[in-house]
Amino acid sequence: MRLRINWSYILALTVSIAAALVIGAAILLISGYDPLKAYAAMLSGAFSNARHIGDVLEYAMVLCLCGVACDIGSRVGIFNVGGEGQLLLGAIVAAQIGVALNGLSAWIVIPVAGLGAALVGGLYALLPGWLKVKHRVNEVITTIMLNNIAEFVCEYLAKGPWKNPDNNIVAGTGNLPQTYWFTRLATGSNLTTVFFVATGMTILTWYVMQKTATGYEMRLTGDNPRFARFAGLKTDRIVLIAMLVSGMMCGLVGMFRVYGAEHIYKASISNDYYFEGLMVAMIAKYQVLPTAVISVLFAILKIGAQGMETAAGVPNQIYLIIQTVVIFSMAAESGIVSDIKRRMADKSARLAARQRAKEGAANE
Amino acid sequence: MNEILSQVFSAGTFTQMLRSATPVALAAMGGSMTEHAGIMNIGMDGMILMGALIGVLGSYVIGSAVGGVAAAVLFGILVGLFFALFVVKLRSDEFIIGCALNIFASGFTAYVSRAVFGLSGTSGYEIDYMRPIEIPLIKDIPFLGEIISGNTALVYVAWLLILVMWAFVYRTPYGFWMRASGEKPETLRTAGISPEKMKWLSSVLCGMLCGLSGAYLSLGYLNGTFVEGMSASRGFIAFACVIFAAANPAKAYLAALMFGFFDAIGLRLQNYISSDLTSAIPYAITVIMMVYVVVSKERKRRSLQPRHDAAAAQPPAEG
Repeated sequence: MRLRINWSYILALTVSIAAALVIGAAILLISGYDPLKAYAAMLSGAFSNARHIGDVLEYAMVLCLCGVACDIGSRVGIFNVGGEGQLLLGAIVAAQIGVALNGLSAWIVIPVAGLGAALVGGLYALLPGWLKVKHRVNEVITTIMLNNIAEFVCEYLAKGPWKNPDNNIVAGTGNLPQTYWFTRLATGSNLTTVFFVATGMTILTWYVMQKTATGYEMRLTGDNPRFARFAGLKTDRIVLIAMLVSGMMCGLVGMFRVYGAEHIYKASISNDYYFEGLMVAMIAKYQVLPTAVISVLFAILKIGAQGMETAAGVPNQIYLIIQTVVIFSMAAESGIVSDIKRRMADKSARLAARQRAKEGAANE
Repeated sequence: MNEILSQVFSAGTFTQMLRSATPVALAAMGGSMTEHAGIMNIGMDGMILMGALIGVLGSYVIGSAVGGVAAAVLFGILVGLFFALFVVKLRSDEFIIGCALNIFASGFTAYVSRAVFGLSGTSGYEIDYMRPIEIPLIKDIPFLGEIISGNTALVYVAWLLILVMWAFVYRTPYGFWMRASGEKPETLRTAGISPEKMKWLSSVLCGMLCGLSGAYLSLGYLNGTFVEGMSASRGFIAFACVIFAAANPAKAYLAALMFGFFDAIGLRLQNYISSDLTSAIPYAITVIMMVYVVVSKERKRRSLQPRHDAAAAQPPAEG
């Protein structure tokens, strides 16, 4: 297996991240914080002990799976922006399965919960996918609306029918019995054994998309659906399956969050995590391996920013600003590069024309 | 049941409808501009959110709600220029830039609001907001007066803008060029007008209107408070309204009014159904609206098609 490394991409990414950190520093400076101290606090917030490193890896796992779910959709030309809703529904269903099946062996409950979460997430993604394929309804808007709907439905379930018997918890499902919790890999951190499952899922997706005929068909469908149809591919079905798998992955992320980190469904199970994963996927240009790498980078930023908030009092949202600046500069990069190329082409064309004119004059 | 109905169709519901519809309508009118110029602008939600924050911030710093609105509009122009810089000048993917703008807005507004107002937000601060305006004479009309009078200034500004934006798009050369820049940019270029400039213009107008929408949200709808994530996907609902209205600003206002109506009904029904479920109604309606637009277009096309087919398939006349 040979990995092709796109050096100009890596250069652009490095420059973008550097630029984002400089702009972040400027914002910190303007709002009256010491940027050097803040960034130092950020680094120690991400790496100072095993717990923080564990949290970084756990968050990287969430970002990576969300990003990969987005990759799968965009590879076939459909943007699943609804991962947040799929994630929430998956989480609440998994949590409720754990509560309802209390007493059964973990070997039964965990697979059932995983299946339930994947199914709910997948079906919830299938709806906008079907609308897109069947009626050409813009999937970006429908998935975003479905996010909001899922959010409210989960809130309703967590306050109403599936409410925790403990009245101190206003909105949350029952506590997950401890026998079902994933085993922690570092004390006090959210990193659990499910990290290996997530890694496996990522590698599997990479393998399927990059190395198999299915992956090739997916790419064909996304790049040139007309040609794909002429080549005899059932593009509609490919899009639907991709959407289903993408939603299933998001549902599973929800389950991982409940069984690994929170042990209960509540709104904090995801705080627009899918959108952050979506950004990672965008920066990675919808490629699986870069998605995984950039997930780790952004997880360091995020967990570090939380440490920075406690240590230096800087609002942790600075990491969102830094992240989006990376996107903006990555998006600008292709424009600037093509602009420079066009100018250079213009120049050489002008030079060539002048040369020809000179020659013509000399010949006369 | 009668009691529910009379509550649902009271003047209060329609007042609420106007209140809920106005921010969506303002943004939808802005979105109509970019839509005409051929830009798929899904960054409106972020634009609204930033407008909301800058409105509150401006009102806090300047000390008057009008100043806040002006600040939000000016900032909206900047955001529009920023958006156009990427989408028009650098030709970045408008979807990526729109998404990034939304996330940037959520981070930026939360950061600034926490840095300026502290963790608990604007609640402890004295911020001038827009007071309702009672219109003499009109306010005495039964039922209608209650709805039309007693709104904040921006509701009336939105009414004015329906006319202005409609006339701009369909009755001025700039509007004409802007539409051409989306539909046939090459033709426009041949006519000696830069389609890029028209796209810049549309983006700036959209930024302004979204800023206004945000300012209404924080200074009018919520009486001078900023809440993190307060745009609550209104930008996307506005986008759906734009699609629904085929980018006609006047129709976009009507679509927003429909959204506002369902929002208001949801609020009324809270006494009977869980408020979480009623809050989901407008979003569900938006999905249905999107599906309806596309399906009805499809049906129209299909109803035209068979005639063509029939004409083509007809055997040549005998003789």
